[in-house]
Amino acid sequence: MAAHARFVSRTVMVRGGDVETAYRTLTRILTMDRIIEEAKRRRYYEKPCRKRIRENYENCRRIYNAEMARKLAFLMRVNRQDPWLGC
Amino acid sequence: MLSGSVEAQCRLIQTSFQKQQEPAEKQSTLTELTQSKESADFSILPPMPGQESSLRWEGKKYEELHIVHIKATYNNTHIQVTTHDGRSMLRTSCGTEGFKNTKKGTPIAAQTAGISAAVKAINQGITFVRVAVKGLGPGRMSAIKGLSMGGLQVVSITDNTPIPHNGCRPRKARRM
Repeated sequence: MAAHARFVSRTVMVRGGDVETAYRTLTRILTMDRIIEEAKRRRYYEKPCRKRIRENYENCRRIYNAEMARKLAFLMRVNRQDPWLGC
Repeated sequence: MLSGSVEAQCRLIQTSFQKQQEPAEKQSTLTELTQSKESADFSILPPMPGQESSLRWEGKKYEELHIVHIKATYNNTHIQVTTHDGRSMLRTSCGTEGFKNTKKGTPIAAQTAGISAAVKAINQGITFVRVAVKGLGPGRMSAIKGLSMGGLQVVSITDNTPIPHNGCRPRKARRM
C-alpha cells in the first residue's frame, strides 16, 4: 500500500501515559534530524539564487562558530598549574 | 535518516537511563533492581513489523491498534480515528466544534476537538490508540493533549509530516 513501512520511523512510544515527554522526545529527534526546519523551508518556494545565498551564509556561519568556539576553549584554559613555577 | 535518528535515540536512551540511575541510587537495593529492570524493558522505538514483541494492549498487538490521524494545518486541525486497515470510524475538526475562521487555527480549538474525538471514541469502545501527526500547525501538540485529557490512552506518537524529495513546487514566497 504505502511506499515505506508505516509506524517504523519518526515514531516514539509513550511510557506510562506521559504524552508530554514522548512528544518532546519526538520533537527533539526531528529537530536533530533537521526534519522540522526542512518542512518549514518547503512551505514556500525558495528560488535557486536565494538557496545558494542561504547555503553560503550557513557555511560561513558554521565555520565562524567553530573557530570562535575553538578560540574560547583555548582562552579558557586559565586554571592550570603555573608553567613558570620556580622562576 | 533512520540511522541518524537511531543514534539520537540511543543517545537519548543513555541520557534518560543516567537520569533514572541517579534517583535510584538514593533508594534501597531492591527497589534499585526493580527500577533498572523496568527502565531496561521499555524502549522508545516501536515494535518492528518483522520482529515479534510481547507488548499487548488489551490483548491487541501494536499493528492492530486503532490509529488517530491528526492533520495540523496552519488554519485548522482535523482529527480522524481509523482502524488499523484504514476504515474511518469518526472525524472531528475545529470547525465541527463550532469554531469559525481564525479561531479554528488555535491550540485551544485543537484541544476541544481532541477531547470531543476522545469522548466519541470511548463511546465506540476504543481505549488504546496510536497517533500519527501530519503538518506543523498550532494544534499539533494540543490535539494530542486533548486526546489524553478526554480519556484515550495514547500508546505511541508518529510524525507523518510529508517531506517531498523535491516533488511539487510549493507556492511563491510571500511579501515580494
